[in-house]
Amino acid sequence: MTDLDLERLGGVWRQQPDPAAMAELQRTAEAVRRRARWAQWADAIAAAAVSGVVALLVLRNPQIDTLLVGGGAILFLLISQIRQRKLRAAELRSLTGTTEEMLDQSVERVTATLKRSRLGLIFAGPAMLTGLLLAYVVEHNSGGELASRIAAYPGLGTAIKLVAVLGFAGMALHVFRQFRRSRRELERLIALREAYRQERE
Amino acid sequence: MSRAVEEGARQTATAQTFNGETPPFERIVADHGPLISRIAMSYEADPTLREDLTQQIFLAVWQALPSYRADASLKTFIARIAQNRAISFVTRQVRQPPVAEMPERVESGQPSPEEEAIDASERRMLLDATRRLPLPQREVIILVLEGFSYAEIADMLNIAPNALALRLSRAKAALKKMLEPTP
Repeated sequence: MTDLDLERLGGVWRQQPDPAAMAELQRTAEAVRRRARWAQWADAIAAAAVSGVVALLVLRNPQIDTLLVGGGAILFLLISQIRQRKLRAAELRSLTGTTEEMLDQSVERVTATLKRSRLGLIFAGPAMLTGLLLAYVVEHNSGGELASRIAAYPGLGTAIKLVAVLGFAGMALHVFRQFRRSRRELERLIALREAYRQERE
Repeated sequence: MSRAVEEGARQTATAQTFNGETPPFERIVADHGPLISRIAMSYEADPTLREDLTQQIFLAVWQALPSYRADASLKTFIARIAQNRAISFVTRQVRQPPVAEMPERVESGQPSPEEEAIDASERRMLLDATRRLPLPQREVIILVLEGFSYAEIADMLNIAPNALALRLSRAKAALKKMLEPTP
């Protein structure tokens, strides 16, 4: 090959898939759209259901604390919906922009994830200790009622401790893995962004 | 290549039929599905992961369609989304994207079996070589192979024409080296 004939290669590249492959592609796209629509509906229905339940509880028990808790739950729901929409919009902006813009936003996103994972790792121990302390205080104040109930079932206490330790270890492992994965992804993204910058020069 | 010309003609027809309005999703898949499939193929060799990537691209296109403002062609809009999604997909993978090849289907019909065999083998080699290119060069080569003009590519990547020419010449040199038969 003396020179690369991109026009001819483009013809080879752009060969249409056969009808069976095309039909498969159509099915895949349709399934994706159907799932996305369902997810949108499920989101809306879940939000409406939670709001309805909270409103019903407040109406049946119109006291200031119920009102505060109910209002707080609806506010939390609203904020999380807005946050989700913002995240989705940011993701779409990054997908419809240039590759370098997408990489910049991805670097920001992974950096934030990394920060959250790091905080999770740092605070996992103290959070566990606080939880244990709270449980001890509650149990102590109740005169050891819960402990005596647990002791009535042989092996239950050990099982609870085992589940708690395994659960905590599993959670810590998950956060640690996420942290490591995010760090690797960040390294790859930064290297790629650098490669794009070098290509630009 | 007649099938490639057919595809171009069909896309132009779509643009005329839905002049000024975004065509329905099924029509978009019919016209630009192969483009999405080829882009997914050039970034991911593993069939399972490629299926996942194709689904993610379809989802992104479906979600982004309401924001399409016709300031560029629909094909450009879709190609941009597909490339960006594919690049973010491969950077999320812990392993390096494999370069192993997967079986491809070539339409039976007008070309003779010999021509088909040559085309399939050439396409396979081209796909393999494209997958080995560094991402910035791969992106440019794919867009050229997809038939975008240099002006469209420069606009899509937001780079100056001379920067595009430089990147393309590097990509062409690398591709040529990979496609040349080893002595």
